[in-house]
Amino acid sequence: MDSSNSPIIEILGLDKKFGRNTVLSGIDLHVPKGQVVCLIGPSGSGKSTLLRCINLLETPDAGIIRFHGQDTTQMPKGLLHAKIGMVFQQFNLFGNLDALENCVLGQMKVLRRSRIQSVGIAGKYLERVGMLPYRDARPDQLSGGQKQRVAIARALAMDPEVLLFDEPTSALDPEMVDEVLSVIRTLKDGGLTMIIVTHEMAFARDAADRVVFMDAGQLVEEGKPEALFTNPKNDRTRAFLSRSLRGHGTGLA
Amino acid sequence: MPNTFFGWIHLLIDEYGSLFLQGAGVTMLIAVVGTVAGFVIGLLVAILRTIPIKPSAPAWQRILLRGFKTVLTVYIEVFRGTPMIVQAMVVYYGALQYLQLDMSALLAAFLVVSVNTGAYMAEIVRGGILSVDKGQKEAATAVGLTHWQSMTNVILPQAIRSILPAVGNEFVVNIKDSSVLNVISVTEVYFMSKSAAGTYLKYFEVFFITAVIYFVLTFTTTRILRLVEKKLSGKDSYTVYGSQSDSNAPIRYSPEDR
Repeated sequence: MDSSNSPIIEILGLDKKFGRNTVLSGIDLHVPKGQVVCLIGPSGSGKSTLLRCINLLETPDAGIIRFHGQDTTQMPKGLLHAKIGMVFQQFNLFGNLDALENCVLGQMKVLRRSRIQSVGIAGKYLERVGMLPYRDARPDQLSGGQKQRVAIARALAMDPEVLLFDEPTSALDPEMVDEVLSVIRTLKDGGLTMIIVTHEMAFARDAADRVVFMDAGQLVEEGKPEALFTNPKNDRTRAFLSRSLRGHGTGLA
Repeated sequence: MPNTFFGWIHLLIDEYGSLFLQGAGVTMLIAVVGTVAGFVIGLLVAILRTIPIKPSAPAWQRILLRGFKTVLTVYIEVFRGTPMIVQAMVVYYGALQYLQLDMSALLAAFLVVSVNTGAYMAEIVRGGILSVDKGQKEAATAVGLTHWQSMTNVILPQAIRSILPAVGNEFVVNIKDSSVLNVISVTEVYFMSKSAAGTYLKYFEVFFITAVIYFVLTFTTTRILRLVEKKLSGKDSYTVYGSQSDSNAPIRYSPEDR
């Protein structure tokens, strides 16, 4: 419905406070269709809150967020959440349902798909993330990486246009990080629009089309990953990058 | 006339056995109806009380919702803060004198026990809901489920599993506490015992039998509830589909399997 270079998500002057504490101030961000944007920055810089404002898990105090040009607060909730999917740090798989049912529930209740169709679609996406063999497993029987892959399949089963990732690998053991990141890479190849909050600098550098650095509730600097990682313009960006890159030993300048 | 304890027991059972059984039946009926209805009331009240009040909602909606929640809180406080024996009198005679509503004692009993249990259940269920990780509600919202849908499909199934012991406890309490309904002449086992004891003025012997009956009812009930709890905690294993080592594993994936 829109041409490919018009933004699918458009954020203008977004403010968010928790009590007296300003968490986000004056955020402007445009995300074109098919782009992968990585949000990086220190803990408490507001990255997750920004993400949660986009699908209205948090209500912004000021500013506007548009999806295909439409104010998200005016959209029907079910439609908004189906179009903008979310993957959480703590996976949040429905604990009472097995892997397949986790992917079926939203399709049936929100998209009103038939059971047989929902199960078919759920199976397709579980297969894509390599979790189909575990379709009968309950979340507490799965490892962290497996849970996160099921959570991605659950989000994909809703046919979202945008997928939000809130530190998808932060709660994982190191050996499981790659299995999740490689799934996200295949989604990028499929052309899905994604906004990813991450501490994985190497991943941000090679998977993102654009990297956004946030600090203290503000959008400090953004750019192509090569430019931002090798030649940050802002002092805060530079300080953050040198800290986190040293920590991860990725061998970047 | 018998002159030993067991002689009396024998005589009383012979003469009033069917009365005791009838009474036990009514007691169980009240306990079952009261607990089930109370549980449903508790679920509904807890779902309503956990509706989030969004600061972005229009003012009249917020005021309405807040007022509604206050009414529910008052209900819970009043029915937990007064004895059921008094509630029975107030409801039964209140309905009779001011609403010209002459309901049967049994109907009044169902009403009082249900509403009373509902108040306790509402708090038990709320505790259960709060014990479920809040990420579950967020994930349900993020998938697009409404408050009602996420409660009934995701939150409550998990909450109920953890509150089942407390719910069973309410059931046992109701078996015992329905005895107070004798004040409005409900023919449960305590009321029947009082009638039986009056004939020969053998209070100890009669109420010994009554005690045994109550104990058998509650003991059996707790055993059954424990079995149910075990069953509801679910299976521990799953079959890896396509597994080479498990002969039960399905080989090909088809949605129709479900």
